[in-house]
Amino acid sequence: MIPKEAIKEFESIVGNEYFTVDPVICEGYRGGPGGYECGLGYEKMMVRIPKGIILPRQTSEVRAIVSVCYQYDIPYVPYSTGFYGAKSHPHVENALLIDLKRMNGFEIDERHLLAVVEPGIIYSQLQEEALRRGMYVSVGGGGGQVSVIANMINDGTSPHSYRFGLAQRRILGTEMVLPDGDLLRLGSLAIQEDPFWGEGPGPDLRGLLRGGTGWRGSFGIVTKMAIKLMPFQPEALRPEGVSPQTSLRLPQNRVKWVNIRMPDHMSLKKAVYEIGKAEIGAAVMKVPLFWRAVARAKSKEEFWEIWSKESEERIQSFHLLRVLLIAYGSEDQMKYEERVLTDIVTELGGQAQRTKQTDESWFKNADSAGMWLMCGGYISVDYISETLDHAVSQGERMADLKRNFTPPLMPDYGERGWFQSLEMGHQGYSEYLIYWDPEENTERVDQFYLESAKENIRRRFYTALLGPNQPLYLTGPAYGRDYHQWLLAIKNEFDPKWLCHPPFPLAHDQFIDEAEWMKTLKDWKEPGLKERKVFPSVKSQTD
Amino acid sequence: MAQKQFDFDITRIDHFLYDMRGCIKCKGCMWVDHIYMPGIRFSTRCPSATRYFFDSFGAYGKMRIGLAYIEKRLPPSDTLRHIFYVCTLCGACDVGCKRNLDLEIGLSLEALRVKLVRDGVGPMPAHQKKADEIFLCHNVFGYPHKKRGAWIPQKISPTKGAKTLYFAGCYGSYIHTEVSRATVKILEASGTPFQMMDDEWCCGNLLFSVGMIEEAKRQAERNLSIVRESGATTLLTSCAECYRMWKVDYPKILHLSTSELGFEVKHLTEFVHEAISEGRIKFSIPFEGKLAYHDSCSLSRLSEPWISWSGERQQWGILQPPLSRRRGTCGVYQSPREILNLIPGIHWAELHRKKENGFCCGAGRGTEDAFPDFAMWAAEQRLEEVVAIGAEGIISACPRCKSNFLRAVKKNQQELQVFDISEIILASIGGVKKERSGDRRH
Repeated sequence: MIPKEAIKEFESIVGNEYFTVDPVICEGYRGGPGGYECGLGYEKMMVRIPKGIILPRQTSEVRAIVSVCYQYDIPYVPYSTGFYGAKSHPHVENALLIDLKRMNGFEIDERHLLAVVEPGIIYSQLQEEALRRGMYVSVGGGGGQVSVIANMINDGTSPHSYRFGLAQRRILGTEMVLPDGDLLRLGSLAIQEDPFWGEGPGPDLRGLLRGGTGWRGSFGIVTKMAIKLMPFQPEALRPEGVSPQTSLRLPQNRVKWVNIRMPDHMSLKKAVYEIGKAEIGAAVMKVPLFWRAVARAKSKEEFWEIWSKESEERIQSFHLLRVLLIAYGSEDQMKYEERVLTDIVTELGGQAQRTKQTDESWFKNADSAGMWLMCGGYISVDYISETLDHAVSQGERMADLKRNFTPPLMPDYGERGWFQSLEMGHQGYSEYLIYWDPEENTERVDQFYLESAKENIRRRFYTALLGPNQPLYLTGPAYGRDYHQWLLAIKNEFDPKWLCHPPFPLAHDQFIDEAEWMKTLKDWKEPGLKERKVFPSVKSQTD
Repeated sequence: MAQKQFDFDITRIDHFLYDMRGCIKCKGCMWVDHIYMPGIRFSTRCPSATRYFFDSFGAYGKMRIGLAYIEKRLPPSDTLRHIFYVCTLCGACDVGCKRNLDLEIGLSLEALRVKLVRDGVGPMPAHQKKADEIFLCHNVFGYPHKKRGAWIPQKISPTKGAKTLYFAGCYGSYIHTEVSRATVKILEASGTPFQMMDDEWCCGNLLFSVGMIEEAKRQAERNLSIVRESGATTLLTSCAECYRMWKVDYPKILHLSTSELGFEVKHLTEFVHEAISEGRIKFSIPFEGKLAYHDSCSLSRLSEPWISWSGERQQWGILQPPLSRRRGTCGVYQSPREILNLIPGIHWAELHRKKENGFCCGAGRGTEDAFPDFAMWAAEQRLEEVVAIGAEGIISACPRCKSNFLRAVKKNQQELQVFDISEIILASIGGVKKERSGDRRH
């Protein structure tokens, strides 16, 4: 229970209207049963219903709330939209959920191409405001509906990262409430109120926010962020259609998608390299055949009708390269880039396909929600930002591993995942997505998830999710040898009571310890619960 | 796990568990379709989630709370009842969900209300009072039944046995009689003989919407049998909520498809649109004004025909036989717009949130009856949008919307004009100019 004294203090901070311990309201914040990583063992075993919900309006309120939590040993979880499924919800009993949606401050600076957002602002809002002013932002794979801040500190990758660079490079300033209530300002916000670039006087604590990806809110609460926007071409992207067939009509003289059928996997990869070297394009990716079926189907039933006719042979011979061209400077740029692209792919035996000149996905939407349509259960098991070769071969290995777990995973005929080029070909990105029927037994899906981490370790694939979404004592010693020790030391320093989203960063370790069907897979060493430092908020659940 | 032989009967809450469990908190039910996202302002389409902030008031919260209630993990309470009724059932969540996921969120919410009533938890006391008035006086206001037809202009006489039957509804009969009067004058101007029921009763919208399914069914059976016996081939309404009841919810309650009703259900805007194309109506009198068009939920995203379905759910959730989903795609969006495009003199504009992304006025489906402050708030939100686009007033195609907008205009002493589209049509065909109300009254 949340102590009565704390309840009074919370009410005095935000007012009665924005704080509740009503169990009905709290039930509305349940993580599952549907959602990202939901319906799996992790969600079923780890996720708890919060005991109280509080909705602050400003940073000073967040600081006051966190201070009360520290005073009364109340575990808490920051929450912006809740789309990140299981991991964005409390994992321990008696937790306070700090719902940040009322913090929806927004400023945009056209002259310096940046926006300052609070956690309640989502990507599609930011994108529209930017487009209206001749700029644009990269909408992360999480979709138009996710909090900009939450996405930027957890991943933030999109096909636009080819031209834009990775998300962490576009964070110009951050205001963060540390677990004990202290205020930390990073980047140029550390110097003054005017964010203009990403650097501050140092020391640089941006690692608290994220490495390859973030720590699910367990190192504090970001209350404000300044983000770089990019200049766009001058013509409007016109929305058209009625739901569910809505899209943005592209001005083809300035913005164009080009689909190219390549003869084989190697030529596709080579084309991606060459496009990067030529420094053309705004997004470059390989599209799984699976997604084409999703795009063509008007319903789940139609998808399965299309997909069930596919075969391993066809999947292995389907190599579709999709390139977005944007003529930022002039219409001549479009002509130039089209010619260069044609030269590259023709030389490699590619053939341009008829391509619909609308965008449903990558400017305002990122239809991530549609990933649940086919089976009801979905997660991106892994994503990787390394060299293109590395990214591509990881997808191949994952496809091999996946065969052993199909079913319960959806049959995908050996599909090697989705890969794309980042930062003009200087990096490769691979994302491996899995789908399952949540109405079936999902224990093997949990096992696949863990086996994918082991495969990464065996093959030395560096992946973004090796930390927050896998057991720390498995991945920590394997990558950097002692990074888990450093991480835990930092956690102890900044959050000595482990009240900020416990038991992260040991959440997955705890899951493996407690799930019977996972125990046979545990072949790594770690301190037992008794030896491992277990903090009060975690202990109540593990004892 | 296959779900053997089921249908979308809203008296069977167990038929909706799959849909309720499937919610992924993408909140597509709350946000405007991201393709149409207008920016920071006017970015949501769910009134209750917008007004009450907590996730529990969005469909994503209601699905979780509903499951907990069904599974007896949550006992009934005032909060629980409040959450399920302080909701306009406007269909925004349903079409939002079906943008990506095809879950039957709207039907789940209706089924939950039916369950609450059957469990003795619902409806709200104010709803019960209204229901009693319907039983006693056959209208939602408790006004004398004998005065129901008093609005009919003396010079206009319904024609027994005519192919078109006009159903005026409670709002058209008692509150916004200018809408009904305009409608019959438009019918007359187009040379369309029409009949009316000898003894018109409420359509039962409130009963159905709050979950009083047995009572709504009796109302549906009674009304339906009268129309079937009348020989009419078209049932015409000028109220969007009556329209939805007749076209969608009567078949739903009675396990029919809309096509099996035995007659066609038309809204005035559809009728006028057709009459224009056939040359039976022409607009000649300019109607000056800079006005915004508001999509009434029951005419737009909620109005697609009901198709009775039964079958089974197979692995991956596949329905067999495949179901033609009602996603709000084919709502009545174009007819009113094309009518307005043809009215001389008028400068009408789209609101930021339009068509399937429209923001409900807040009045319908029992909301205003039990939660007048919330309904007022929703109307105020919509009128803010009207002001933001620089319009001087608002047009809707439902007297219920008109009524609620007028309340908000009066409360805030705004200069905004509020019209039903029937008034504009009538004025422009040279009906009765003095009936141009541009109401700021009430």
